[in-house]
Amino acid sequence: MAESNEPQAKATASVSSSGNPTSSLSRVSKCPETLEEGKRSFSDDAGFARVQPMIEDWHQPWLNGVELLEDSNHNKHFLPTGYEGIDVLLGGGLCEGQLTEMVGPSSSGKTQVCLYSAALVADKHFGVVMFVDTCNSFSPKRIACIVDQLSSSFSGEAKERRLKRVMSNIFCHSVFDIFALLDVLHQLEFKLKQQVKSGDTKICLLIIDSISSLLTPVLGGKGSEGRLLMVSAGIILKKLANEYNISVLVTNHMVGGEGGILKPALGESWKSIPHVRLQLTRDQGSNICNVSILKHTFMATGRTAKFVIHSRSCSVQDGRGR
Amino acid sequence: MEENPRGWIHGDETAKAMLSRILTERPFLFLPPLHRVPLRVGNVVEIAGPSPSAKSQILLHAAVNCILPEEWKGIRFGGLGRMVMYFDLDCRFDVLRLSQILKHRIMEAYRSTNNTYWKEKGEHQKNDAPTTHMYLCDDELFLDCMRRFLYIRCYNSFEFLAALKAMHSHSQRESEALGVSVHFLMIDSIGAFYWMDRACQPMPIGGSKRKNVSLQSLAEAVVQEICKLLQMQPVLVLATKATIFGAGTSGNDAQRAFGKWCSEGKMDSRTSSREGEKLMYREYMPSSWQMKLYLVGNMEHFLRMHLNGCSLH
Repeated sequence: MAESNEPQAKATASVSSSGNPTSSLSRVSKCPETLEEGKRSFSDDAGFARVQPMIEDWHQPWLNGVELLEDSNHNKHFLPTGYEGIDVLLGGGLCEGQLTEMVGPSSSGKTQVCLYSAALVADKHFGVVMFVDTCNSFSPKRIACIVDQLSSSFSGEAKERRLKRVMSNIFCHSVFDIFALLDVLHQLEFKLKQQVKSGDTKICLLIIDSISSLLTPVLGGKGSEGRLLMVSAGIILKKLANEYNISVLVTNHMVGGEGGILKPALGESWKSIPHVRLQLTRDQGSNICNVSILKHTFMATGRTAKFVIHSRSCSVQDGRGR
Repeated sequence: MEENPRGWIHGDETAKAMLSRILTERPFLFLPPLHRVPLRVGNVVEIAGPSPSAKSQILLHAAVNCILPEEWKGIRFGGLGRMVMYFDLDCRFDVLRLSQILKHRIMEAYRSTNNTYWKEKGEHQKNDAPTTHMYLCDDELFLDCMRRFLYIRCYNSFEFLAALKAMHSHSQRESEALGVSVHFLMIDSIGAFYWMDRACQPMPIGGSKRKNVSLQSLAEAVVQEICKLLQMQPVLVLATKATIFGAGTSGNDAQRAFGKWCSEGKMDSRTSSREGEKLMYREYMPSSWQMKLYLVGNMEHFLRMHLNGCSLH
C-alpha cells in the first residue's frame, strides 16, 4: 500500500499549492511497471478517489449524444443574415456555436454581409452584436441606411427610436494587431463569465471583419509563432462560440495560388479551424453576388446561391428637426 | 527457488492455442466504412489527410455503426451496440450531422425491411401502417443509440491528458449504467494542439526533479495514457490528423520516423517530396502499439467512394 499512499500525500500537497495542473499531472502520470500495479492504482479507492475530483476540474464535462442534442435544440439558434440566398443556403442563417468564415476577393460583398447581419440581429432583438473592426470598414451611416430600409413603414419618431436602439446594441472595437484581438477576446470571455449570473442582454453575434489582415503579417516564414497565434485565436473563438452560444463570423481574403488561381489566404492550418466556409464572388459592376459552400458541418459542399446587395443611397436624418 | 526450471522453460501455452484464443477474444471486425481493413480492439489507427477530405465523416460513420444495435424489434441493423468515446480536440463536432447519419441509417433499415416484407407478400403497394409504426419506434431507438455516444471537448493538451486519465472511471460508470462496453476511442484531430505545444519552451517548472513541459514530453504523456488505457480496457483507437504541407526540417524528421513504423507499401505513397508533415509526436509512439495503419490522401478518395456507396449523402 506504500505506492498508493504516496500519490495521496502528493495530492494533498498540490491542492494547497497554486494548483498548477502540469506539476501534479507529471507526478500522477508515472507509468505503472506491471499490469497488476496499474490495476491496483486504478481500482484502489483511497488513492485514485482523492485525485479524481481534482482531475475532473481540469477537463470539460462528459456529455452524451442526448445531452448534446438538447443543447443544440435549446441554445443554438440560427441568426439570419438578411440576405435570403445565404440564409436558405445555410439552412436558416448563421448558427450559434459555430465559427463561420467568409472568403472572397476584395469588394465581393463580405463587409456588406457583416453590416447587414449586424443591423438585422440588433434590430430583431436577438441580442447584442460585437463588431471587431480591423480595417475601418464599420460604417454607422450604412447601418442607419439599412435600418431605414427595414423600417420604411414607420413614422419619423419611431424610426429615430428604432435606430437608436439598434445602434446601442452594436458594440464596435477597432483593433489593428493580433495581440489586441486576443486581448479583446480574453476580456470578453471574462466579462461573459461574470455575466452568467446577471441577466443582461447577452452577446449573440461576434463579427471580426478581416481577421486575415491581422494574421497575414505574422504568418509566413519558418517561425511557428504566427501559426501559434492563429490557432490560439481559433480556439478562443470556438470556445466562446460554444460555451456562450455566440455565432462568430470572420472574413478572409484571397491570395494567388498555383497557376494563378485564387485561393483563400491563411494557409493549410487555418482550414481546419472554421466550422463553415463560404466563398463569395461578385461579377464586375453587378449587384448580384454568388456564394458557395466550401465546407460545412452537415451540408454538401459545392452548393451555391445568389443574393443581391442593394446599394441604394439614402438620406439619413441627423436627429435634429423633423 | 523451489520452482522447477524445466517447467519455467516450457511456457504457458503453445502458439497455436494462443492464436485461437486471441482470435476468439478479439475478433477482426469489418465495420463499414473501414470494412476493407481488418481491425481489432487494441489497434491504433490514424486517418491522415489534407483538410477537406472526409476524415471526420469516416469517424462519424464508424461511430453510427458502433452505436446501432445488432437487431431491434425484429429489424436488423447490423451494428455493434456498444459505446463510443469521442474526444473532440478540434471542437468542430456537430451533433446535427451525427443525428442526420443515424436517422438515415435507421430509415434505410426500415425501408429495406419493408421492401423485403412486401416482396414476400407479393404486394406492389405499401400502405402507411408500417411507416407510422416506424415513427413510433424511431425515437426510442434513436435516443437509445445517442446515449451510447460519449463526448468530451478539450481546449488544450492538459485538458486532453486529464480527460484521458479520467476516461477509464467514467467509462466504467457508463458501462454499468447502460450495460454495454466501450468499443471505440475516437480522437478528432490528434494534431490540433501541435502549434501550441511546440511553442512550449522546454523549461523545467519549479525545480529539476519534475518533468519538463515540452512538445516531446506532452506527446509521450499522451501516448503513455493511451497505452495504459489499452491495457486496462481494450478499445479500438481511431485518430484523425490533418496533414499540413510545409517545407522545412519537420519533413525530414517525419520521414526518418516513418522508416521505423511503416510497412513498405505505405512508405511509397508517403515519401513524395513536397509532403512535409507535422507529426513530431509520432516519433515517440512506443513499439507496444500492435498495429498502426496509415490511410493517406490517395486512399481517402478510395474510401470516399465507398462512403457514397453505402449511404446517400
